Amino acid sequence: MNTLLRWLEDRTGLASACRGCLERPVPAGRCCLGVWPSVILFVFVVEAITGLVLWMYYSPSAQSAWESVYYVQHEVLGGAVLRGIHYHAGQVLLAALALYVLHAIFARAYRAPREVEFLLAVLLVLVTLGLLLTGDLLSWSQRGYWSTNVRTNFLLLIPGIGSALRKLAIGGPEMGHLTLTRFFALHAGLFSAALAALLWLHARAVWRADQIEAAGSGASPYWPGQSLRNASACAVALVVIAVLVATGTELGSPRDPIDAYAAARPDWYFIGVYQFANYFPGGLKIVPIFLVPGAIVLVFLAMPWVGRSRVGHVANVVIAAGLLIAAVVLSAISLAHDRANPSHQESLQAEHASAERVLELVKAKGIPTAGALALLWDDSKTQGPKLFKQHCASCHDYNGGERPMLAEKPSAPDLYDFASVQWLTGFLDLKQLAFNPPPEELSPSNRPKYFGNTKFQKGKMATFLKDDLPSLKKDIDDGPAQFRKLIEALAAESERASSTKPSEDTLALFEDFTCTSSGCHHFHGNGEKGAAPDLTGYGSREWLIGIISDPAHKRFYGAKNDRMPSYAPAGRPDQQVLTPRQVEMLAEWLRRQWYEPSATPAE
Amino acid sequence: MQRLGRDFKGNASMSTTSSNGCCGCRSGAGDPRRGFLAKLGALVLALVAYVTPAIAGLVAFLNPLRQKSKSGEFIRLAALDTLDGTPRKVAIIQDRTDAWNRYPNQPVGAVWLRKVGENEVKAIHVVCPHAGCFIDYDAANNRFVCPCHTAHFDLDGVRLDATSSSPRDLDTLEVDYETKDGVKYVLVKFQNFRIGTADKVEA
Repeated sequence: MNTLLRWLEDRTGLASACRGCLERPVPAGRCCLGVWPSVILFVFVVEAITGLVLWMYYSPSAQSAWESVYYVQHEVLGGAVLRGIHYHAGQVLLAALALYVLHAIFARAYRAPREVEFLLAVLLVLVTLGLLLTGDLLSWSQRGYWSTNVRTNFLLLIPGIGSALRKLAIGGPEMGHLTLTRFFALHAGLFSAALAALLWLHARAVWRADQIEAAGSGASPYWPGQSLRNASACAVALVVIAVLVATGTELGSPRDPIDAYAAARPDWYFIGVYQFANYFPGGLKIVPIFLVPGAIVLVFLAMPWVGRSRVGHVANVVIAAGLLIAAVVLSAISLAHDRANPSHQESLQAEHASAERVLELVKAKGIPTAGALALLWDDSKTQGPKLFKQHCASCHDYNGGERPMLAEKPSAPDLYDFASVQWLTGFLDLKQLAFNPPPEELSPSNRPKYFGNTKFQKGKMATFLKDDLPSLKKDIDDGPAQFRKLIEALAAESERASSTKPSEDTLALFEDFTCTSSGCHHFHGNGEKGAAPDLTGYGSREWLIGIISDPAHKRFYGAKNDRMPSYAPAGRPDQQVLTPRQVEMLAEWLRRQWYEPSATPAE
Repeated sequence: MQRLGRDFKGNASMSTTSSNGCCGCRSGAGDPRRGFLAKLGALVLALVAYVTPAIAGLVAFLNPLRQKSKSGEFIRLAALDTLDGTPRKVAIIQDRTDAWNRYPNQPVGAVWLRKVGENEVKAIHVVCPHAGCFIDYDAANNRFVCPCHTAHFDLDGVRLDATSSSPRDLDTLEVDYETKDGVKYVLVKFQNFRIGTADKVEA
């Protein structure tokens, strides 16, 4: 055995190299600063191990990047922890490097013979930033995608070559598959290799400097004193990472190329720069984004030489401390500003809701080859509010639910809970039907809900409610109770299969209240179409699709249609504002008819 | 170097040339001219050997520079009657190519359309010229807002802030009209503009 080891040692020299490592002298007073390189190496190894396994699951393409990360996060045994460690250890790596650099400055440990060691530490910070910025995109989530979009657009600020740089960064004129493949190659290949190489060079520089310093002052061997300190520091780093992993790792919703994420903000390490840049007008953005950070890097690289004199060292300390304080203050300003900004909070909530929703859909339906985004694009609960806000909310209110949407000048009925008993009860009350407060008195609770502000405000329906209904209620036996039944029967239409007819009693009820007399509504074969909306299947999915597609159809308002556009008139594809599927999703959303994972109905 | 010598003493013989190599080569230390030629040859050959794959890689790496973004073409967006004085966001539906994939009829962007006269429409690109975020319509204040770096614009796209994040006003798009079967339609020349510059130039 010994012979074998001796032979191996003779051929490789490994054992003596190891002994050299362990016995290498650590100069007195180096003990605290000396733990940083060890912590940084440790976190790098953590990143390398977790990154390699993530690599085995990752698929860099616009249709599969988010999906493969979803798979790791939610389906792979221990995948959430693995991804959590990789994500948070990356942040810890940057923080540790930054603290190391600051510690070295404050301890004046950048002086000869440690200049190269310090320069390499600054370069390590830069490469780690590259790793974090490229890694941020890889999950292809809304946040990562839109932040990267902004960042790569900043390359355009560079005169002359900006446009070419951006194309090279994202692999073409627009972001897509090639952005992912490029960023992944940079992340797992170039930057990772650069980090490893820099760490190796840095270790050599540290050893060399230790050796030189040890010759002058007292020194003790690395093993076991310093190695114990280092191992303890690594354990602390591990605990920090574990605590961060326990807080969870966000995945977010898959990126939507036409629904920009309005709450896109940089991660903690760039919030200060973000806020700083906000103080500059559009034409001067190159200053805060490239020139100032670039100058700061140069200042740091020059510190070992500036710090040779006492005054220079004090200047370095002041600069480093000043930058640290500025970063903290600017970040705090930005965070406070966003916290007080309701539309920012709304965007955050919307993104959060979307991220939860896509998980529900993926669990129920699985991910199609087109990607998870296709699930969201086809989901009434997700698309309904967006379509409503874009196409309906300038006239209609949706004054209820989790996120009410209120029109600036409401000029059409509030569609929240449309065709329900409650909605209809209000509709058939003259006061509510024609309620129309003056614009200056509008408030979320004081608004027209039905025909206020429409041309029907004083139309036939209002006249009927005013002149005929009170006497009808009196004349019909048990009038008020019958009227209640009428409302319930009408509300029931929204749930009725279109083929089944209501009972004779119900038909008689409509007859009694003169709903179907000539010039009024059609209802299951009684009355005529064209004068007022057909009440057959009132509020059903099919009825809503019909009226959204073409309210001027004789089944609805015909020639009396007020101002509502036809969003998808039959036989006129030229005039489609919405696709048939979009109309369906809008109708389903209004009826709160969408997929929900539990057995309990929506809301 | 003293330390290196101690650490790697097993390799100490590396620095001297061996007298009998594998190809029968002999030590060339005798003739200084031949020594120079050997050095030159080694450098040139090594350079050629390494530069060849580097160039091959570089050429393919630079391929994105050849690609241009789609030039603008007029697209029919909406019937004139469906618009009014309130800006409405309309999606641009086009075929989209992403590297090796072609996606037919995909939303590729959006414009804000608003009637400014009986028969006139103004079209504003949804992308903010500062950093490429999408601007929103702030109905309460009747203006456009970019949520990323809080820039405000009036309905014509003119910057409202004293020091706006945006280097230029919002990008207006060319509008045209066509009448078909008695219905007047709005056409917009959809194109992307370069982000971050004071001048509006095609991307």
